[in-house]
Amino acid sequence: MSSKEDKPVEQSQSSWKDFIYNPRSGEFIGRTARSWALILLFYLIFYGFLAGLFSLTMWVMLQTLDDYTPKYRDRISNPGLVIRPKAPEIIFNRSAPSEYKEYTDHLEAFLSKYNGEHQQNNIDCTPGAYFIQDNQPLPKQVCKFERSLLGQCSGITDQTFGYSEGRPCIIVKMNRIIGLKPKPTPFINCTAKKDDKLSVNYFPENATFDSMYFPYYGKLAHEGYVQPLVAVKLLLNSSDFNKKLSVECKIEGSNLLNNDDRDKFLGRVAFQVKVTE
Amino acid sequence: MDDKIPKKHAIYAVETHGTDDLSKPPPDGKEKKYKGLWKRKKAGRNMDDLKKEIDIDDHKLTVEELIDKYETDLVTGLTSAKAAEVLARDGPNVLTPPKGTPEIVKFLRQMISGFSLLLWAGAVLCWIAYGVQVSQVPGVPRDNLYLGVVLAGVVILTGCFAYFQEAKSTNIMASFRNMVPQQALVWRDGEKKQILASELVVGDLVEIKGGDRIPADVRFIAAQGCKVDNSSLTGESEPQSRSPELTHDNPLETKNIGFYSTTCFEGTATGLVISTGDQTIIGRIAFLASGVGDEKTPIAIEIEHFVHIVGGFACSVGVIFFVISLGMGYNIMDAIVFLIGIIVANVPEGLIATVTVSLSLTAKRMAKKNCLVKNLEAVETLGSTSIICSDKTGTLTQNRMTVAHLWFDNEIVSADTSEDQKNQSFDQSSVTWKHLSRIVALCNRAEFLAKQENVPIMKRAVMGDASETALLKFSEVIYGNVMAYREKNKKVCEIPFNSTNKFQLSIHEMDDPHDKRFLLVMKGAPERILDRCSTVMLNGKEVPLDDSFKETFQTAYMELGGMGERVLGFCHLLLPEDEFPDSYPFDIESMNFPTTNLCFAGLLSMIDPPRSTVPDAVSKCRSAGIKVIMVTGDHPITAQAIAKSVGIISEGSETVDEIARRLNIPISQVNKKDARAAVVNGMQLKDMTDSDLDEILMNHGEIVFARTSPQQKLVIVEGCQRMGAIVAVTGDGVNDSPALKKANIGIAMGIAGSDAAKNAADMILMDDNFASIVTGVEEGRLIFDNLKKAISYTLTKNIAELCPFLIYIIVSCPLPIGTITILFIDLGTDIIPSVSLAYEKGETDIMNRKPRHPKRDRLVNWQLALYSYSQIGIIQSIGAFFCYFTVLAQQGFLPTRLINIRVSWEDENDQDLEDSYGQEWTYEQRRYQESECYTAFFVSIVISQLADLIIRKTRMNSIFQQGMWRNKVLLFGLASQIIIAAFLSYCPGMYDALRFCPLRVQYWFVSSPYAILIWVYDEMRKLAIRRHPGSWWEKNMYF
Repeated sequence: MSSKEDKPVEQSQSSWKDFIYNPRSGEFIGRTARSWALILLFYLIFYGFLAGLFSLTMWVMLQTLDDYTPKYRDRISNPGLVIRPKAPEIIFNRSAPSEYKEYTDHLEAFLSKYNGEHQQNNIDCTPGAYFIQDNQPLPKQVCKFERSLLGQCSGITDQTFGYSEGRPCIIVKMNRIIGLKPKPTPFINCTAKKDDKLSVNYFPENATFDSMYFPYYGKLAHEGYVQPLVAVKLLLNSSDFNKKLSVECKIEGSNLLNNDDRDKFLGRVAFQVKVTE
Repeated sequence: MDDKIPKKHAIYAVETHGTDDLSKPPPDGKEKKYKGLWKRKKAGRNMDDLKKEIDIDDHKLTVEELIDKYETDLVTGLTSAKAAEVLARDGPNVLTPPKGTPEIVKFLRQMISGFSLLLWAGAVLCWIAYGVQVSQVPGVPRDNLYLGVVLAGVVILTGCFAYFQEAKSTNIMASFRNMVPQQALVWRDGEKKQILASELVVGDLVEIKGGDRIPADVRFIAAQGCKVDNSSLTGESEPQSRSPELTHDNPLETKNIGFYSTTCFEGTATGLVISTGDQTIIGRIAFLASGVGDEKTPIAIEIEHFVHIVGGFACSVGVIFFVISLGMGYNIMDAIVFLIGIIVANVPEGLIATVTVSLSLTAKRMAKKNCLVKNLEAVETLGSTSIICSDKTGTLTQNRMTVAHLWFDNEIVSADTSEDQKNQSFDQSSVTWKHLSRIVALCNRAEFLAKQENVPIMKRAVMGDASETALLKFSEVIYGNVMAYREKNKKVCEIPFNSTNKFQLSIHEMDDPHDKRFLLVMKGAPERILDRCSTVMLNGKEVPLDDSFKETFQTAYMELGGMGERVLGFCHLLLPEDEFPDSYPFDIESMNFPTTNLCFAGLLSMIDPPRSTVPDAVSKCRSAGIKVIMVTGDHPITAQAIAKSVGIISEGSETVDEIARRLNIPISQVNKKDARAAVVNGMQLKDMTDSDLDEILMNHGEIVFARTSPQQKLVIVEGCQRMGAIVAVTGDGVNDSPALKKANIGIAMGIAGSDAAKNAADMILMDDNFASIVTGVEEGRLIFDNLKKAISYTLTKNIAELCPFLIYIIVSCPLPIGTITILFIDLGTDIIPSVSLAYEKGETDIMNRKPRHPKRDRLVNWQLALYSYSQIGIIQSIGAFFCYFTVLAQQGFLPTRLINIRVSWEDENDQDLEDSYGQEWTYEQRRYQESECYTAFFVSIVISQLADLIIRKTRMNSIFQQGMWRNKVLLFGLASQIIIAAFLSYCPGMYDALRFCPLRVQYWFVSSPYAILIWVYDEMRKLAIRRHPGSWWEKNMYF
C-alpha cells in the first residue's frame, strides 16, 4: 500500500487492531482516510467508465440485430418434437380422476390458446401450400388451427381426453423455428418400442403438420401464431393395462431429421405410458 | 550476550575444543532468541554421542598396542578375509551423503504444496457431489466424477512436474560428485594392492605419497618428509609435517594422525587406518553441518505469501458465494458445484509449474555462466542478496602466486600479473637484471611436468611449491625454456630451503665454455640474504654494500611488504676457479664453500594477484547496492592489499588505523564513523560481542576480515543476517560448510571446493570466479522481476474465469464458461506465454538498483493483486461477457431473456424452451449453444490475454521502449495461444470430448476493443508512472 514505506519496521508485526485502525498514522485498514477517498474515487471513475463502455458496446451490438429474426438460425435448423402433457412418463389409474387430472388440466390449458376466441383474427388458409407472406406488411397473418381438428382429443367432446377410458390422448407438437418450411408435408408416426403392438388414432386423421402453417415469422411479426398439432389417441386394450408401454413418435415423410445420434428429441419424441385399472 | 559467542564457537569448533558445554541447557529466558542455536545444539548432542562411542586415543597408543587393537600386521597388512569381515561390520569407507528427505516425502510434499490442497478440496467436493447425486438419482451424468478426476490429475501432473524438475537439478549434483573413484594403495595378505578407497577398513596398512588424498583417518607408522595440507579441515593452508611421533594429546594437533580427505602435500608415509567413513573426523563435521537448519529461501517465502493471498481470496469468495447461493434458494448440491467452479476459477493451476520452469530456465542460463544451482529456488536468492561474504584465495584472486614486483638498481618495477601473460614489458636491458634473472632461473627446484609444451605457460602444471612455481613461470616467460637453460648450467649441488636457514642455495656450472668458474646462487628471506652479502650489484657493477644502500633496501622491502606481497632476496657469487676447480667435491653437509660475502642482486615480490574480472565485478556489486565483505584466513596486510586492488576497499577509504596514523592521534580518538573501511583481525573478532560485530557491520561500508578461522565465518554470517541482510557466502573447506548452510545462499567453489562444502552449498561456482557471482545476481534479479510479470499475467484472467460463476449464480443465466474450459486456459493456452516472460530482458539496468528488501519488496504485493484483479481482470471479464452476450443474442437469446433462464435452460426434460424470437429449442440444441458460449468466452479471454501478455513485458517502460519483437519466445507464446485456442475450437470431435465447438470467425474479434483498451490503458498507466515518480498514482499502480 501507498504508505507502507513510511511505516517503521517494527510496525510490520503490529497487531490486527492496529491494522484495522492505527491511531498513530490515522490509517484505517492500511490507508488513511484521504488515501481511501482517492482510491474509491479512482475505482468509481474507472468502473463508471467501464460500465459506460460496456453499455455502449452492448447497445451497438443490439442495434445490429434484427427485431424480427435472429441473426443466425443454424443451431436450430431442425425442429424438436415434444408432447403434451409435458412428462416423460404418463402413469395413471383410469378410474382415479385425481391421478390424471394434472394431465388433463395441462392439456386443457395448453389447448386453450386454440379456442375460438383467440383465433378470431386468424384466417383460413389453403391447405397443402406454404403461407408465404415475406412481402406482406406487419403483422403477418396467422392460419387458423381449430381445436376441433383434434377430434376426440380436442377436449371438447371428452373433457378427460380419453384418460378416463384408459385411452389417453397425447398431443405432439413440433418446435417453432422461424422460416422453417418442411418439404413435403411431414406426418407423425407413433409406434411402440420393442414388440408391443400399438394401435393409435391420429387427429387430424392424416397426422400431418400442414404446410399452410409454415413458415413461422417470429414472435414479433407473427403475433398470435398457433402451431399445428397432431393428437395421438393411444388405443390401449385391457391387455395393455398395468404395464409400461414405450412409445416413440417420429416425424416422417419430410426433409426433417428424425434420427440424430446426439439429440434424441430432434424430429422424434419418446415417452412411456402406464395405465392401471 | 557475553556467553553466547564462545558457546557458538564451541559448537562449531567441536573437533578442536570438545563439546563439553553442549548438553548444558541454554541460559534461561533466552531460548526464544536463540532458537536457531538450539536446533544446532540438538545436532551437537548427537555428535556427542557419536564421540563417546569411539573416542580417539589411537594416537597415544604404541604401534604394538595398535596392532593388537586392530588385529593387523605391520608387514603383511590385514588378510583379505579379516578385511572382508571388518568391511561387513563397519560398512564401506564413504561418507553417507547428508540424509536427504526421502524421495517419497519429497514427492508427497509436492502433492500438497501451494494450491494443491485447494484443488484436492475441489476434487473431493466433486466426488462428494457425484456420490450424493448417484445415491439420489442413479445414472446421473458423470460430469462431476470426471471433473474430480481431472482436478486430481492436474494436481498430480503439476506435482510430478515440479518433483522431476527438482530431481533433475539434484541429479546434476550427484553425477558431479562421483566422477573419479578414489584409489588407495594397501597391504593385504602380504601384497601391495591398489583397491578402491571405499573398500578400506580399520586396521588396513596404507601407503601415501605426495599428491594423494588421504583415504581414511590414519595413524602414521612411518613417514619420510611427509607434509599434509589440512586446509579442507581447518582452513589453514600451510602444509604441516607428519611423523610417527605423538606430539600432542589432542588428536587434531598431534603429528601422527592424518585425516580423511586432506591431501598429502609431499613425501611418503605409511599409515594404519583407525577410522573410516562416517566415523572419520570429516565424517563427523559433515554430520554436524547437516544439523544446521536450512533457511527458507526468499522466493519460497514469496511464493508462500502469494499462495496465501490468492488462496485466501479464493476461499473467501468461495465461501461467500456458497452462503449467498444457499440464501438465494439453490439447493446444497448446486451450491457445492458453484463452490467447485469458484475454486477452479480462482486457483492459477499452471502457475507453480510456470515458476518452476522459469527458475530452471534461469538455472540453465546460470549454469552456462558457470553458476551451477543445486536448489532451484536459490536462483532468485542470489538476486536478493545484499551482502556477499567472499573468500579471497581463488575467488577474488587467481589462486596462483605470481611475481608482481622486482627491485633492482634501486628501482621498483612492476611485472605483469594478468591471467595470460606472454611477455614481461618492463625494461630488461640492465646488466643487473641479467644476473638477477639468472639466479631466479637457476636457484629453483620447481619443474614443469612433462608434455606440456603446447599448454600456455601460466596454465602448466608444476611440481613445486607456490613461490617456486611463480618464479619458474616468471623465468619461463623471460627465457623461453628454463629447463633447457638449467640443462646448460648444470647443478652441482644444492641446499633446499628450510626454516632454520631461511634460504635456498645451489651451485652450477656455467654454459660459457671459456668460463670454468662455478656459480653459486642463493635466494631467501630478504634480510637474511642481505646479511650474507658484502657487495651489491648496481647497474651491472659490483659495489660494496654500505649503510645507505641498506637503508634504501629497507625502504623497498617495506614498500613491497606493505603491498601484502611475499618478498624474496636474491644473491650470487662466482666461485674463483683456482679454489674451486672442475672436480671440486662440493659437500652440503660440511658446507665447504662460501655462504657469506655474496653479491646482492635484487628483490622479487610475489602475490596471488586478483582475477582481472574481479574489480569490475566488485564495482558492479557496489552499484547494485550489494556489500562485498572479504573473509580470509590470510594476513591482514595481504588481505587489505587485495581488497584495495579489487575495489572492496575503494580508493580514498581509510581504516581507523590509517586515520590515526595520518592524523597522528591514538586510535581511540578516531571517530569510527569517519572510517569507511575496516580490517578486522580474527583475533579481535574472537573477543567481540555480537553488538560489537553489529556495530562494525553497520558503521563500515567496506570490511575485510583477515586471519579468520572458518568457524568465525559463521559468526560473521549470523551478524549480517541479524542486520536483516540476505547473505551469500562463498567457501571451499569442510569447515565452511556450517557457514554455507547458515547463509541464505551458500556458494561452493567448483574447482577448489571440498565435497562437504559442495553438499552444504546451494550453488556451485564452476570457475571459482567472483565475477560469476555477479552475473548470477543479475540473473536472480531478472527472474524476480520476470516472475512478477508472469504472476501478474497469470492472475489477471482468474477474474475473467471467476466472474462468469458469480454472474451465473446471481443472474441465473446460462453458464458462460465451463470448469474444464477454465482448466484449458490455465494449463493450456497460458503456460507458454507465462514462461516466455522469463526470457524478457530487464527494463532498466537492474544492476543499478538496491537489492530488494525481503519484507517490503514482495513478489506479489497489493498493487499487483489489485491491478491484476480489479482493473485488467475486470476489463477482460467485461470483454468476455460482451462476447458471450453477442453470441447468444445473435442466436436468438437477447440479454433480457437470459435472466432467470437457468433452471429451464438446464432442464433436460424441457425440449421446447422459447427464445426471444419465439423459436423453441431442445435441450441438446441449448447445450450446444452453451458450448459455443464456453468457446466464445474462452476465446475472448485468450484474445485479451494476448494484450495482457504484451503489457506485462514491462512494468514501467513503454512497450515501444522495450521493443516488441526482441523476445522471440514471447512472440511464439502469443502465436501458441491462438494456435491452441484455434485447435481446441476447430478440431473435429472436440464438442463430444471437451465441449469446445467451432466458433464463427467474427466472434474472435468481438472482445478485441477490450483487448486494445487493456493495452492503451496500461500504456497510460506506465506513462503516468514515468512522468510522476513518487506520486499517488505510482504508489498505487506500480507493482
